[in-house]
Amino acid sequence: MSFPILSFVTFFPVAGAVLLIFVPKEKTNLHRYLALAFTLITLVASLTLYFHFDGAVADPQFVEKSGWLGYGINYHLGVDGISLWLVLLTTFLLPIAVLSSWTSIQKRVKEYLIFMLLLESGIIGVFVSLNLFLFYVFWEAMLIPMYFLIGVWGGPRRIYATLKFVLMTMFGSLLMLVAIFALYSFYYKATGTYSLEIFDFYKLILNPQVQGWLFLGFALAFAIKVPMFPFHTWLPDAHVEAPTAASVILAAVLLKMGTYGFLRFALPLFPDALERFLPLLSILALIGIIYGGLMALIQKDIKSLVAYSSVSHMGLIMLAVFSLNTEGVEGAIYQMLNHGLSTGALFLIVGILYERAHTRLIKDFGGVSSQMPVFSAFFLVCLLSAVGLPGLNGFVGEILCLFGIFKTSQLQAILAVSTVILAAAYLLWMYQRVMHGPITNEKIRSFKDINKRELGYLVPIIIMMFWMGIYPQPFLRKMDASVSRLLDRVHNRERIFLRETSQTTSLKSDRAAEAEVDQTAKKILAELEEKR
Amino acid sequence: MDGLASLYPLLAVVAGALVVLLLEVFIKKEKRDYLGYVSLAFLAAAAYLTVSSWNRELTYFQGTLSLDNLAIFLTLLFSLAVALVILLSLKYIGQQDANHGEIFALLLLALSGLMIMTSSSDLLVIYLGLEVLSISSYALAGLKRRDEKSGEAALKYFLLGSFASAFLVLGLAFLFGAARSTFLPEIIVHFGTAAAPSIMGFFGIALILVGFGFKVAVVPFHMWTPDVYEGAPTPVTAFFSVGPKAAGFVVLLRVFMNFWDTVPSSSVIFWALWAISALTMVVGNLVALRQTNIKRILAYSSIAHAGYLLVAILARDYSSLVFYLAAYLFMNIGAFAAVIGLSKTGTEYLELDDFAGIGFRYPWIGGTLTIFLLSLAGFPPTAGFLAKFYVFSAAVRAGLVPLVVIGVLANLVSVFYYLRIVVYMYMREPGREVDIEIENPALFLVLFLCLYGVLQLGIFPGNILIVIKQAIASLPVF
Repeated sequence: MSFPILSFVTFFPVAGAVLLIFVPKEKTNLHRYLALAFTLITLVASLTLYFHFDGAVADPQFVEKSGWLGYGINYHLGVDGISLWLVLLTTFLLPIAVLSSWTSIQKRVKEYLIFMLLLESGIIGVFVSLNLFLFYVFWEAMLIPMYFLIGVWGGPRRIYATLKFVLMTMFGSLLMLVAIFALYSFYYKATGTYSLEIFDFYKLILNPQVQGWLFLGFALAFAIKVPMFPFHTWLPDAHVEAPTAASVILAAVLLKMGTYGFLRFALPLFPDALERFLPLLSILALIGIIYGGLMALIQKDIKSLVAYSSVSHMGLIMLAVFSLNTEGVEGAIYQMLNHGLSTGALFLIVGILYERAHTRLIKDFGGVSSQMPVFSAFFLVCLLSAVGLPGLNGFVGEILCLFGIFKTSQLQAILAVSTVILAAAYLLWMYQRVMHGPITNEKIRSFKDINKRELGYLVPIIIMMFWMGIYPQPFLRKMDASVSRLLDRVHNRERIFLRETSQTTSLKSDRAAEAEVDQTAKKILAELEEKR
Repeated sequence: MDGLASLYPLLAVVAGALVVLLLEVFIKKEKRDYLGYVSLAFLAAAAYLTVSSWNRELTYFQGTLSLDNLAIFLTLLFSLAVALVILLSLKYIGQQDANHGEIFALLLLALSGLMIMTSSSDLLVIYLGLEVLSISSYALAGLKRRDEKSGEAALKYFLLGSFASAFLVLGLAFLFGAARSTFLPEIIVHFGTAAAPSIMGFFGIALILVGFGFKVAVVPFHMWTPDVYEGAPTPVTAFFSVGPKAAGFVVLLRVFMNFWDTVPSSSVIFWALWAISALTMVVGNLVALRQTNIKRILAYSSIAHAGYLLVAILARDYSSLVFYLAAYLFMNIGAFAAVIGLSKTGTEYLELDDFAGIGFRYPWIGGTLTIFLLSLAGFPPTAGFLAKFYVFSAAVRAGLVPLVVIGVLANLVSVFYYLRIVVYMYMREPGREVDIEIENPALFLVLFLCLYGVLQLGIFPGNILIVIKQAIASLPVF
């Protein structure tokens, strides 16, 4: 396709942000409609990605590549079966986020929407970059709008929360930057050319010692982002203080940048180191599952309850990633989408409650369902999706994840099931206390049921929840090729290496040529061995 | 090629200074702006003369003054910096009781000092340039005659500056004793060929390093910086933070360019610089955390940036050093420009509390200042990020991983205090009434030029990078 669709999807929101700068401040409604239009057009454009994406191809598609700064720094975009879904999740949720802040944000609407649009670009950019430099640029740049969204429009402790969020994330990413530099220089020393292309680095075989350090650099950045226990402490603070829409984006998409980072970089680049750190990482993921669930049980604030449930769910996703088999990884990716939808929806629902009650404490609620029957139905569906009820999306993802984990370790699977049990406990208990029972707070009597706008953004999510729960095939099939290529890279690194280095010569079909190819490949391997 | 042409830019600048000094006598106090415009015209002429000698390798005075490509690039950079500072001063000097035409003449003279420093490989000539620069700087720092802090700054700068100069001269004497020359290439060759490392020579180099350490403000020779930066008139502070520092680093570049490879026992100096660099990054950033005055924060930040620049010297990647200097010019002058924007007649708003809430009240000043601060903190897609990227990636390639780890962690600390200013601007309710005089077109011109520079260097630095690489490649290697 000649139209640079990926660049369009990535930078169209920026164009919207620039346009908004020049719209006078007072026209708040115009700002809102413009932002909605820009996010919707981005969504439509991203849907063409879905329709034209060939699930049988493992390599990135819609590739755009052009030189940028030289020295291996290229402008290189593309999506494969893993990033496609995350891009779609982002573009799907952004119009919803804009709609959800239609009335809840009254102060400085213009700046708010500008940052929203910039945030969307930053996140999409992270998922579509195939050059490490570009990836890092988006990875860092996306922090700035989030920093403002939490810091300006957040709750009472917003400054603390936003600084903690930025500093913790940056701590990880700066160390990752050092690791990127190291990769960059290793590649230069091995081949004599500069490159920052991710796919070039896949061909690099490093000695295990070096791999260990580099892996730690990358893994720390991603573990903070996911967040894995014990790096999760920024998450509850950020979630509780952030405005609703920022919470939605944070939980639904930003956390996925961490898991995506593991899948794209930490696993395929450093398979030897991965093997070494796998037990530690699995244990951390397990602790996250159980710790997050238990913490969620005792939260008084609905929003921090959902935040801790994120910690628990993300633990399950990470554990499934670390199972390193098709079911596990596909389940993890699927669960990433599910978590995006269900947790995003739960934050929206908390937002709806907060807009009416101006409190988020569970004890202030009770008997809401009698006043808001439609709302309570929506709440229940979203909640059951998070719990993993069969027929809804959460079930498919969780069952795949657990299958995958079970294949590698039965003990881990048994412990991991506690995500589901704990989720049922804390979510249903919370639902009972908030929605049922006698009305204790007189304010609740004046609650109005959800309006058309709120219905408008909840319905698409609910539709997706049912669709992904009942008919997951189209989603999973588009991942297959990319996931199996990824696992191939992790497990059979050397063989892939041989295949890719001899690509240019393997076009000859006679046996002699093949033998020759084998010879050269072996020689290269031996040389590399020596270099170690 | 030997030619008087290599002197033209210098002559233009000095002539400009003298003309401005003379004109000042005849021009009424209210029309001081014209002096600024005259200076700008001379600067433009100097810049044109500089550009026209690109790639011609002009030399004069038996090679002690050579207008090589690096010198040309830096002369342009300095001229731009001085032009921006002049634009910033136009309104400032009237507002802040520093309405003296000398400021323009002194800035031009300081510029001539910078030019001499960067276009010579002879330590004695470099020293000459340094003194021209320093003496004008002392006067510039004390320009607010009725302000005690300004006087303190001038005196402090003068005392410590002369102290540093004394070190420099003593070091020069030692070096001359050891190598029988003040010409850098000859000194390096002497070190390279001498059978045993001469103690006297190393002592000389160490003393020279101390001298320049003062000038570029690296820890532990940084003590004067915050006070001088705080006391000096703000446009002058902007100039101090960019000009002398850049020139000092270019001299270090010329000293060390061939030093590491030719001199056998250079590792002592290497590790000393390593330690100084690490200390500078850590101390500069940590101390900045506790400051509440924006000029002092920027002073400590400029100390920390000197640490990053030293990393480039240690990594032997000189084009990244020059790129960093260019990026630093735009982001730092831009930040100071925004600070100058927050003032009215007789008052400057420099405490962090004054910044509360101004981001939404003055969106252009707040917005640009935010971008400059993010650039200083090294966020993409700004020049600051790319500059750090080049420096640190070169350092990792040179095997300086521990230093880079220290550097990025120190950078993390810096993120905190840069963002703290942003926190005040956008996330705090205004405490005390801040009303500023917005009408200052020259200031907004500077803001937008710097914004353009920061973004251009951050996103499409292509051509500038090529020019820098060419300039570095044309330097002699032996």
